[in-house]
Amino acid sequence: MGIRFVLMVNKQGQTRLAQYYEYLTLEERRALEGEIVRKCLARNEQQCSFVEHRNYKIVYRRYASLFFLVGVDNEENELAILEFIHLLVETMDRHFGNVCELDIMFHLEKAHFMLEEMVMNGCIVETSKSNILSPIQLMEKAS
Amino acid sequence: MEQLKTIGRELAMGSQGGFGQSKEFLDLIKSIGETRSKNEEDRIVLREIETLKTRLANPNTPKFKLKEYLIRLLYVEMLGHDASFGYIYAVKMTHDENLLFKRTGYLAVTLFLNEDHDLIILIVNTIQKDLRSDNYLVVCAALNAVCRLINEETIPAVLPQVVELLGHQKEAVRKKAVMALHRFYQRAPGSVSHLISNFRKRLSDSDPGVMGATLCPLFDLITTDVNAYKDLVISFVNILKQVAERRLPKSFDYRQMPAPFIQIKLLKILGLLGNGDKKASEHMYTIVGDIMKKFDSTSNIGNAVLYECICCISSIHPNPKLLEAAADAISKFLKSDSHNMKYLGIDALGRLTKISPEIAEQHQLAVIDCLEDPDDTLKRKTFELLYKMTKSSNVEVIVNRMIDYMININDNHYKTEIASRCIELAEQFAPSNQWFIQTMNKVFEHAGDLVNAKVAHNLMRLIAEGFGEDDDTADSQLRSSAVESYLHIIGEPKLPSAFLQVICWILGEYGTADGKYSASYISGRLCDVAEAHSTDDIVKAYAVTALGKIYSFEIAAGRKAEVLPECESLIEELLASHSTDLQQRAYEVQAIVGLDAHAVENIMPMDASCEDIEIDKSLSFLDGYIQQAIEKGAQPYVSESERSGMSNISNFKSQEQHESLMHSLRFEAYELPKSSMAPHVPPVLASSTELVPVPNPYNHTEVHYSATPMPSVSNAGSSELKLRLDGVQKKWGRPSYSSPVPSTSNNDAPKIQNGTTQRDSVGSANSKARDVSYDSRKPQVEISPEKQKLAASLFGGPSKSDRRQSSSSQKVPKNNSHSANKSHVEKTATSDTVAVKTSQPPQDLLDLGEPTGTSIPPSLDPFKQLEGLLDLTQDSTTLNTGGGSGTDAPDIMSLYADMSLSGQGNENPLSTGNDSASLLSGFSDAANRNGHGVNTVPQLTQQLSKGQNHKDSLEKDALVRQMGVTPSGQNPNLFKDLLG
Repeated sequence: MGIRFVLMVNKQGQTRLAQYYEYLTLEERRALEGEIVRKCLARNEQQCSFVEHRNYKIVYRRYASLFFLVGVDNEENELAILEFIHLLVETMDRHFGNVCELDIMFHLEKAHFMLEEMVMNGCIVETSKSNILSPIQLMEKAS
Repeated sequence: MEQLKTIGRELAMGSQGGFGQSKEFLDLIKSIGETRSKNEEDRIVLREIETLKTRLANPNTPKFKLKEYLIRLLYVEMLGHDASFGYIYAVKMTHDENLLFKRTGYLAVTLFLNEDHDLIILIVNTIQKDLRSDNYLVVCAALNAVCRLINEETIPAVLPQVVELLGHQKEAVRKKAVMALHRFYQRAPGSVSHLISNFRKRLSDSDPGVMGATLCPLFDLITTDVNAYKDLVISFVNILKQVAERRLPKSFDYRQMPAPFIQIKLLKILGLLGNGDKKASEHMYTIVGDIMKKFDSTSNIGNAVLYECICCISSIHPNPKLLEAAADAISKFLKSDSHNMKYLGIDALGRLTKISPEIAEQHQLAVIDCLEDPDDTLKRKTFELLYKMTKSSNVEVIVNRMIDYMININDNHYKTEIASRCIELAEQFAPSNQWFIQTMNKVFEHAGDLVNAKVAHNLMRLIAEGFGEDDDTADSQLRSSAVESYLHIIGEPKLPSAFLQVICWILGEYGTADGKYSASYISGRLCDVAEAHSTDDIVKAYAVTALGKIYSFEIAAGRKAEVLPECESLIEELLASHSTDLQQRAYEVQAIVGLDAHAVENIMPMDASCEDIEIDKSLSFLDGYIQQAIEKGAQPYVSESERSGMSNISNFKSQEQHESLMHSLRFEAYELPKSSMAPHVPPVLASSTELVPVPNPYNHTEVHYSATPMPSVSNAGSSELKLRLDGVQKKWGRPSYSSPVPSTSNNDAPKIQNGTTQRDSVGSANSKARDVSYDSRKPQVEISPEKQKLAASLFGGPSKSDRRQSSSSQKVPKNNSHSANKSHVEKTATSDTVAVKTSQPPQDLLDLGEPTGTSIPPSLDPFKQLEGLLDLTQDSTTLNTGGGSGTDAPDIMSLYADMSLSGQGNENPLSTGNDSASLLSGFSDAANRNGHGVNTVPQLTQQLSKGQNHKDSLEKDALVRQMGVTPSGQNPNLFKDLLG
């Protein structure tokens, strides 16, 4: 299954985007997000960008105040996921121009749309920025 | 300040608003963004929920407003509150004609609902309609929803359309249709089994995006059935070749790598297909070798592909050339300063050691560095590697390390895992019984509640049976040492229940066997256990049964069973227990104490827990007695079933058994009660004498009691019966039914003291153990010998004595522990500096700190060498402690400096290209320092002093960022550092 969830959480622990590829209840999500952020905040930059948590492996990357966290299972190539995060950020950057936390907050649905293009069924399906963004641009034009 | 912040936000909105977002929405987001506590956030969200409830209920809400409300609902749920009141509006929105509204509706639905939600049924129809749409974006939106919302039952409703869309002219649609089919396969493989060929077809799709997506389902399919896809090996190899040769559109490139994510997926697939298949593997060698040659070591993604190549190489049929290349790559990873690279290196090493075990030995020191790294992730990965390379020669060191680590973590998930790994390794490779028992003790002591109960039973059995050699002295030594160790441990507070059970059982069975401890001492300790765990019935049951055994062994040996007062009161108390099991045990103990030696010997033979026990279910040994009684005019026995007029129990039971055998429900009514078919035979007789290896305890107790109506069965007889049950249980059974025998006891004061001192010593032993795990961070001079020692014991260590030596010497640095912190700093710092200075081979690291010839490679004469190390260690220890306590402050400072400097240096190797430099700088606020990385000392110091300012400016930078987050004009540098 590969990717189990994608989270964006700021360093105060506030969730800014959450996409789960398996079903968790609201309480489970809340607990999970809290635990993970605490764990990642406790780590310094020299340490690995990977953390084990419960049965997940979390790959995380920090951009200014925002943490991007991807939960994967054991079969994934951690470093590739780390770069996938960067690809996601680059894609958002191309769309928003100098993307920041507020862009994601004000355009939550667009951030989701991009993620929808990139990941399906927990697998990375699209890595070409133009392919990811073109449906979103077309949609914006139409409306 | 506060004002400034708001202005910044306002500006931010000025540039972003106007896309139909209302002031209200902007205010909400703003206030959520400004909250500084969870409470505040909750208040906002709760208020928002109320607002949305009234707004959504208004039927005249314009659509663009509705869309906004939905997004606000998304926030409600994302921030952890229930938004189910609004789900239906999300469903409604999917019906909308406008694409943006529709897609937002679908998005909300997929985020709110899981596939089994009741509302899904309302969407299926919409999805069907949208799949037929002329607008391919609508079709795509619907396919996205299909991937999230369609469950097994609804698959047939959309399947035909999805299959049709596989041939759609738009590549985006084909891609999503493939993924929808993939989803169906994940949910219900049977539903699409006839459509699998479509995946193969899509592999040769003209669009690389579709091809890339198709790799996902194919990967799953190949995982489940490799052989069905061997024919595709050549296709995959060709595709990979084309990708590597940059035949794909530029837009798939990432950091100048051609479609790296597709390459990685392909390498994973090839790894599966080539596993254990020489012929298939041969096709792959060239391309994998080419990719490895071309790889770009300066970027993360290049290394990710390289790592995937190593995984592939370790999975397919081995090729010497590729293995060599993989080994080279691994050493690059391990030598890197980046923890991520080291992590991958360790992981890759674990994969490769299976094929060529000698590779790990080349990297001993790197592995040990990782093992001792404060980074938990790295440490765990290294444990995983050690687990994979454990053999009988290094099991002691590895398991001890694991246990030391296990003791110090709180994460139960991982604790369970590592505990079971320890047990597995100990069972598999234990060099001696003693060691095995000590190891198990430690595991139980610290993770007893987390490990499987079966492990406890195994341990009891092992101690009872010995290691299978017919060496009685060894076995009894084993037992004595077990008893000894348990008497030490027993006083510790908070022992897990499973462990206490083992302790009680062993003490009862073997506590007095070697004559070292008196019965009253052992029984006193057992009594303490029962009292200290008065809420744990199982432990109490074990304890009282053990008491019974102690007493009976005493009696059998011709001594008087001396029941200590507190044991007596314990038994008294249990006689009135609410637990019938405890009651029964207490009565049994009481009865045994009153018996004579001969009877007791029959009930409780010494060390008979492993004897096979024959159960005479028909009670034939009573025949003579019955005969006598009948002759004297007694009534023949009437079975209970006959007396009560119930249908024959055995009949009943056998019916049940039949039914359970047939695994089906029984539909006919039960027949009316009849008198039994075999009226004169009590039900149990039917099965007659037989060997019962794993009896159902209930059955037998039943037998026992239904048989005892015979009033004057000799004590010996009845207890013999019990005894047998007892033995059965001890070996396999559930603890609650073993009903062995009693003894006396009580602890007299001196003994308690004894106990406490013992406890102390255990405590110090523990702390010693902990020290061991830290000792390696001690000053540099001694690190190297330590490490080398460890290396020798992990990788080289051929002889036992060698290992012993090493473990004893590990404890030496203990006296140094008070300076541990300092020296820890020193260690990391120094080793880092060294690393920065040069890329010398690791052996040189050792030389730096060592005056003597300790750097002789471990393989030469480990034993001798270790002796040398030991001395050295002691010397350096004293030296260091002496220096460390007084004068070191400035030095430590400079070491800190070194550390941070080397930190900067560390980033350098990665950031050669401009591109990746900016990438790295994006990592965090603090990352600016990268790019200045300089290696000469004077410059470094400069930087250091700049460091403070830097930090300040970074903080400011971060603050500014938080305040004025305008992406456009206002703040041009904002997030610049994220993405060059």
